[in-house]
Amino acid sequence: MNGDLSALPGIVALTLGVGAVATAAMLAPAVALGFCLARGEFRGKALVQALVAVPMVLPPVAVGFALLVLLGRNGPLAFIWNSLGIDLVFSWWAAAIAAAVVGFPLLTRACEQAFGEVDERFEQVARSLGLGPMRSFFSVTLPLAKRGVLYGSVLAFTRALGEFGATALVAGIIPGRTETLALGIYSRVQLGDERGALALCAASFAIALAAMLVAEGWLRRSRP
Amino acid sequence: MSERASRIHCRIDRPDFSLDIDIGWDERVAVVFGPSGAGKSTLFEIVLGLERCANAHVRIGGATFDDPDAGLHLPTEHRDLGWVPQFPTLFPHLNVAENLDFGRTRAAGRDPAARGRAIEVLEIGGLLDRTVDQLSGGEAQRVAIARALASGPRALLLDEPLAALDLPLRARVLPYLMRVRDQLDLPILYITHDPDEAQLIGEIVVVLDGGRVAATGAPRDVLWSRAVLPLSEALGIENVFEGGVRREHGSPSFVSNAGLRLVLPASLDSDASVRIGLRAEDVVLAADRPGKISARNVLESRVVACDDRDGDVYVTLDAGEKLVAKVTAAAAAQLALAPGSTVYAIVKAQALRRLG
Repeated sequence: MNGDLSALPGIVALTLGVGAVATAAMLAPAVALGFCLARGEFRGKALVQALVAVPMVLPPVAVGFALLVLLGRNGPLAFIWNSLGIDLVFSWWAAAIAAAVVGFPLLTRACEQAFGEVDERFEQVARSLGLGPMRSFFSVTLPLAKRGVLYGSVLAFTRALGEFGATALVAGIIPGRTETLALGIYSRVQLGDERGALALCAASFAIALAAMLVAEGWLRRSRP
Repeated sequence: MSERASRIHCRIDRPDFSLDIDIGWDERVAVVFGPSGAGKSTLFEIVLGLERCANAHVRIGGATFDDPDAGLHLPTEHRDLGWVPQFPTLFPHLNVAENLDFGRTRAAGRDPAARGRAIEVLEIGGLLDRTVDQLSGGEAQRVAIARALASGPRALLLDEPLAALDLPLRARVLPYLMRVRDQLDLPILYITHDPDEAQLIGEIVVVLDGGRVAATGAPRDVLWSRAVLPLSEALGIENVFEGGVRREHGSPSFVSNAGLRLVLPASLDSDASVRIGLRAEDVVLAADRPGKISARNVLESRVVACDDRDGDVYVTLDAGEKLVAKVTAAAAAQLALAPGSTVYAIVKAQALRRLG
């Protein structure tokens, strides 16, 4: 099977799916947390910021191991998985969860920065015109921060595409089920299939480039 | 004491800032006047419920928003106030019409005709499809006022609505403010640091200084009064001269105690000793003595000092009495202003105003 490229479309689709689901799953919590960090002044804010950033600087393998324990059949949350009758470890969902956990700090940071750049005056004016805090957030704050949030989403998405260490531990490298581009490259190199690895590298490069081009396009178009 | 239609009572004590105010009034149009840093904008934030002040008691035009005794503290969105902040904070992601629609939910309940009336009074019907960045400064300010009015507010709060505009634009927007004042029967609270504006707009003026009320009353009684005099420099009246008025060749002229002589406009004729105020920006400097010129006062002066402040140069002159002129850095360079040099200070009689 050396140089066999028939698996490539499936791997690409799987990788994009994992990235998309991971990004979609972390979007709402990252937006909420980013807004709280940008606007709120509370005790322990620095600690929360540090905790959010930790998965970004930890060895991904350590994150993967922590997830393996948490999601495993014998871990502290096992009663949840058992009662739901699901087995997350070594599943497609485990790959998405690992990607989300590792991408979350990037997206939260981007959201925090984007909300920090929105002048609070706009929200105050919206409130004065009769909008409650939630409506003022969705009709003023979020649209004005849209650029940064979208950019952060693309960063998190591309980070999810490239996730290796955590995914390998918690999702394994199961062809057709959890084998993403990054995992596929590794396994092909291990098997000495350099042509296959190179093809997956090229696909990774193309996807990353396309994502960044889309993001730059957004930035340029929505620039005030 | 019977209840006033409007009342603001609050006390804030912070290391960096303190505010201690208790004012009540029945007039419809009140001006809050004072130098920057006097606490004017904080006062608005309290009225809007944006600044937390546990002991605040706020009532505007008969509607109570805060009453600590009754445990009342309405959230900002339920105060039904039309607020025009200092800088036109039009929502940049919406066009003019969408900005106006922002308060439509409230307007629908309170005053469905508010939007149409706001567009008419401020004459912005032709701007509705524009994006915010296609508006000039004056247009943006008119739209900001219309947006506040279109929400059908029970009162209008204007925070220095002309301050961000240059002089010619101010003259274009001011008539709209007068129309809003005269055609709509709406309580208005108006912040300014410009005495002319305060006099023109207000039925009652509250003078704030350092977080405290320095004076309250009818504009002509309060502005230029002794209470306001110490604020003259902060309000942009850098030159204050004391002296008497003499009549020469039929027109009045002022002679300061130090001997500075200034031709006054006929309206400032007086028998008593007077104080005369002059803004530094109203003094024109010339390197050579001008020929025929409408300005009545040309004073040969010696430059004492030049202070560069944020791109403007404050030139201290000896014109028989200390006189401060404010010019651009480019003008100061062109005239080669330096201590010891001689210049001609030109002052229109109309720029002189009587204080105290």
